[in-house]
Amino acid sequence: MTVVPAQQSGGGGGSSGLYDVLELVLDRGLVIDAFIRVSLVGIEILKIDVRVVVASVDTYLRFAEACNRLDLESGPNKSPGLPEIVGEVTESGARGKSKGALSGAAETISDAFKQSREEGRQKESESRPRARKSTSSRRKEEQE
Amino acid sequence: MSTYVYGITDSSHAGLPEGMEGVGDPPAAVRVLKEGGLAAVVSDAPEGLKPKRKHLLAHQNVLAEAGAAGAVLPMRFGSVAPDDDTVTGVLAEGADHYKERLRALEGKVEYNVKATHDEEAVLHRVMSESPELRSLAEANRQSGGGSYDDRLRLGEMVVAAVKAQEADDAAELRRVLEPAAADVSVGPESTGWLANVSFLVDRKSAEDFLAVVEEARRAHPHIELRVNGPLPPYSFVEPGPAQHAESGVGQETALE
Repeated sequence: MTVVPAQQSGGGGGSSGLYDVLELVLDRGLVIDAFIRVSLVGIEILKIDVRVVVASVDTYLRFAEACNRLDLESGPNKSPGLPEIVGEVTESGARGKSKGALSGAAETISDAFKQSREEGRQKESESRPRARKSTSSRRKEEQE
Repeated sequence: MSTYVYGITDSSHAGLPEGMEGVGDPPAAVRVLKEGGLAAVVSDAPEGLKPKRKHLLAHQNVLAEAGAAGAVLPMRFGSVAPDDDTVTGVLAEGADHYKERLRALEGKVEYNVKATHDEEAVLHRVMSESPELRSLAEANRQSGGGSYDDRLRLGEMVVAAVKAQEADDAAELRRVLEPAAADVSVGPESTGWLANVSFLVDRKSAEDFLAVVEEARRAHPHIELRVNGPLPPYSFVEPGPAQHAESGVGQETALE
């Protein structure tokens, strides 16, 4: 018999939610001295990786390049709130890239997590092109 | 045969669905050990248990089911006792403490909130707020990307600005979400997220809490929020003084 988990995921959901929950399962919860804990060798390494603060030359160069690419034409003179541009950037696929330098270390993750994240990414790349396609075809229809 | 322990409940706990499967391959059958007014949710511990996704999920599933039926103190993954008697012995010995924790957590669930920046959106934000960064970036662009040193300097400043923004946003999120929760527990820092905070929420007011999260999401489009819950109260089983001191750092804002 398969038991469906009782919890649901709000917001992010899906398999990135799985990663977030597993982190809690491994790192929190009651520890009782009279019980031994199974060896978590691989997982301990994961935790160390994740907690390293990345401030390397590579990171700097990557950010500099990202800024050079950034189209600020409509940005500088606008309010810090950046109303339209933020919405537009978010929707047009920046989401996929956003896992870059800001969370680089989180990518070095044990098998358990890697699998779930890859599934998440697949889902993203499956749904993105479709969304974009429908927008452009709609535009085409409008032009006609 | 050693005994794998999932969590501790009151002996009046409504119990688990028939045929609940635990850790192991093939999965071990989950059973309940009672002692005094308490009960432990356990199964046989498989030989050579490793922290694989399958087993972690089984652990979480058992606790999610147990938590849905009543208060539960979730064990951390991988807790193994030599035998059943050791488990009931632990229940008997710590009965007062466990009962107190179960009462405190009755009707409460954990919501874990992780926040990351949408990279391009946050770059837009820090650039738009700093004329210095903009002119530096513009100079680099006009000279075809800038020299190695120019790029390094720009990148270093941008990273610093992004980090400052992360700290601001983490504080802002807590300020906004904390009033909607009964308790707060701050998770480990890492580069994987700018905030990793668990909130203890009354099951009845969970919708209110989620509405506040939704509001925060709308108000800060450059922040990506991932909310997971309701979960068993992993982060609130032992609110020792150390944990609270840690989570209290820089948090005078709640009362302002």
